[in-house]
Amino acid sequence: MNMSYFLRRHWLTLAFLTGCVVLLAGGASLIGDRLMERVTINLCINIVLVMGLQVFMGNSGILSFAHIGFMGVGAYSAALFTIPSQMKNMALPELYPVLAGLSLDPLLAILVGGLIAAVIAALVSYPLMRLSDAAAVITSFALLVVLHTVMLHWSEVTNGPRTLFGLPKYTGLLLAASAAVLAIWVGMIFKESRIGLLLRASRSDEIAAAAIGSNIPQMRWMAFILGAFLAGIGGGLWGHFITSFAPKAFFLKETFVILGMLIIGGPRTVSGAVMGTLIVTGTFEGLRTVENGLNRAELFSGQVIGLTEIVLALAMIAVLILRPGGLFPAREIGTLITLRAKGKRMNSSV
Amino acid sequence: MTTASLDVQTLSVQFSGLMALDQLSLRLAEGEILGLIGPNGSGKTTCVNAITGQVPIARGQISLKGQSLSGLTPREIALAGVMRSFQIVRLFDDLSVQENVEISTLVRGTRRLEAHKKSRSLLEMFGLWDRAEDLAGDLSYGQKRRVEIARALIANPHFLLLDEPAAGMNEQESADLMTLLSDLPKAYGLGLLIIDHDMHLITQLCHRVHVIASGQTIAEGSAAEVIQDPAVISAYLGTAPGEGDKRGA
Ligand SMILES: Nc1ncnc2c1ncn2[C@@H]1O[C@H](COP(=O)(O)OP(=O)(O)OP(=O)(O)O)[C@@H](O)[C@H]1O
Ligand SMILES: [Mg+2]
Repeated sequence: MNMSYFLRRHWLTLAFLTGCVVLLAGGASLIGDRLMERVTINLCINIVLVMGLQVFMGNSGILSFAHIGFMGVGAYSAALFTIPSQMKNMALPELYPVLAGLSLDPLLAILVGGLIAAVIAALVSYPLMRLSDAAAVITSFALLVVLHTVMLHWSEVTNGPRTLFGLPKYTGLLLAASAAVLAIWVGMIFKESRIGLLLRASRSDEIAAAAIGSNIPQMRWMAFILGAFLAGIGGGLWGHFITSFAPKAFFLKETFVILGMLIIGGPRTVSGAVMGTLIVTGTFEGLRTVENGLNRAELFSGQVIGLTEIVLALAMIAVLILRPGGLFPAREIGTLITLRAKGKRMNSSV
Repeated sequence: MTTASLDVQTLSVQFSGLMALDQLSLRLAEGEILGLIGPNGSGKTTCVNAITGQVPIARGQISLKGQSLSGLTPREIALAGVMRSFQIVRLFDDLSVQENVEISTLVRGTRRLEAHKKSRSLLEMFGLWDRAEDLAGDLSYGQKRRVEIARALIANPHFLLLDEPAAGMNEQESADLMTLLSDLPKAYGLGLLIIDHDMHLITQLCHRVHVIASGQTIAEGSAAEVIQDPAVISAYLGTAPGEGDKRGA
């Protein structure tokens, strides 16, 4: 990849998206409100997760349900290195003695978590990369179930279905925001790289991509590994933000939320991934306030719960019907701004 | 055999009972333009699909410069130097025009900058440079066809198989295309196979013409020769003897 060419073409998109993250994180830290800080950290971690999914799904065009499983792999792996050894007897009573002494700086541990997720993705996914369409979706779902089941039952390293606790609180605003910005850059560079281009071509027409000589399964495989790496990083960051979690955190509900963000924003563009995350997170927080308000006002006899999920589901359906490619279906935000500035008549696909 | 060639020997392709190609043999040499013509459904596209590995072959041999292509995937055949266009254009609609062209040299390991330069000169040659940044999906049909040919050409193929390259083009575009195509074999040292229904284009361009009906060769020779051939005339009138029996047999 020619970096100066890349920057010349995409500086505006990168500046805009980086700017969004920096402004939000800077704002949250200046205002110093705890809730706002929590929301922003969550948002940044979500950007990392959604970008990981975008790297694979956006470029290859193949829906993957397995992603959040790799978030779990990252979170559990990193935890093995950061739960203080005196705490490990309690947090992981059945832990293999060899692992008991493991200890790393949290930042390194999070990176290692990402790497472990990537290695596992590399090992299990190659045969799946030949599949397209429904077969690919179903097998990715099966993979999520396998990962989830392992987390549920491998008590020696995960504490089974019970909550794993004792992780140091390490992920703060600065780390989360830096990770989000890095993930955005990685996603953008990957999209414009040779592999990204070949993948996007295969997404557009698999037969033509093979006919020009592209090795489609291999390209998909590499994207899948990079996606799993980002998911693993996201998991490690989240684990060291929340400090205790159970396997159920890495299953259907989280999968649905992350997919919803990507699909609403537009899986094919990095701008879509980021803006989708911003919009959905913003809406969620708004709704949660409404939900709490309703519950406090006791307007209804029972508790109002699940409002956020229902709204997300409806929003996803609406977007898929009205704007199937999401809010940013084809062009990155920088390109859109440039085109508008040029006063160029925009084509329908934008 | 001195010149390098793409050889199809007694090739048969079957689609659940239908003999789409029936012991077809043809030879395309580097530097020549061969026309492949025949009535609708005679098996022209299937022949290209078989050569490029998109449909499995039942019997026969396809070899590239003496090397058998059997068992190779479309990708491997492309990398061996056989490129094609599709009867119904297959571009990467949501990539830019230039990316559509660049990509098939990038896949062969060309550096970014170099691919950029090469694609630029091809797009200029095809009169599409002013559309380089547009999405391929937004082009007119005739323009898309040219992009598809440029995408194949940038890979420096030994053999280029074009399935109805002028279909959907207006007269001017078609005439321009003819000029372009006629220079290719010399400029690129490639063998060019052209499928088309436009006899004017075939007559003007092709050094040799191969006529098939119901998956079998019915005539071979210069354009002037084959259009005189009684078998060809009757095939085009739809009265080729035995045609009805062979299909679906
Ligand atoms: N994938 C396929 N499955 C089944 N039958 C097929 C398939 N592809 C082609 N055929 C049949 O094989 C025969 C030859 O088709 P082919 O497309 O090769 O003809 P063609 O000479 O290219 O025709 P045209 O001039 O209309 O493009 C036709 O009867 C067609 O219906
Ligand atoms: Mg055809």
